[in-house]
Amino acid sequence: MPIIVNLDVMMAKRKMSLNELSAKVDLTLSNLSILKTGKAKAVRFSTLDAICKALDCQPGDILEYQDEG
Amino acid sequence: MNVLFWIIFIGLCIKTGALLVSFLVNFFVNPGGAKNLYMGLDLSGVKAYSQSYYVHLASLMIALSGLKAYIAYLVVRIFLKFDLSKPFNHVITVLIDTISHVALGTGIVAMIGSASSDWLMKRGHDVPINWGAGEILFFAGVIYIIAVVFRKGTELQIENDLTV
Repeated sequence: MPIIVNLDVMMAKRKMSLNELSAKVDLTLSNLSILKTGKAKAVRFSTLDAICKALDCQPGDILEYQDEG
Repeated sequence: MNVLFWIIFIGLCIKTGALLVSFLVNFFVNPGGAKNLYMGLDLSGVKAYSQSYYVHLASLMIALSGLKAYIAYLVVRIFLKFDLSKPFNHVITVLIDTISHVALGTGIVAMIGSASSDWLMKRGHDVPINWGAGEILFFAGVIYIIAVVFRKGTELQIENDLTV
């Protein structure tokens, strides 16, 4: 998939663990793991909103488009 | 429903076994037994006319009964795997798909049997077998549509599971 999820990069920048983020955005660890590993098929705006608020960043900091061709 | 399909499955297995044993005994041990092949089924007229037609009809009946038992077994497996909280999953979809294909095969076997019976009856022989080919083929079509719906449902379920 050409959409890359840079959640781990932002978490490292903010020095936040997965457990901490999970508690802040009210998402299960398994769902966060799906998002972090790039297995997710879709992201809800509410989830994106909560993650951006918790990590104090923009959606573009988390999601990135990379052309595969 | 699970118990009901277990009973149907066991009943059909017994019927298939009884037909097979009765046919083999009548063929190799007691040639006069064709008068009562299974539950009063009399194929003695056909056997007297042609041994090969008798074998053909009896084989189709055994195959039909066996296929019905297999379908009942697949339905039992569906009930064992069915989870109401996540009804659409890959295993159920494959099972329903298999049932639709086996039902189509069963319908074709029944159609061949029905056509053979009609052919023999036109020649004045009594063939008291109800094949039910039309009904089986109709249900094969209905089950195939359900299988297609389940396939789409499984795709949606996976997409929903991977939405965060």
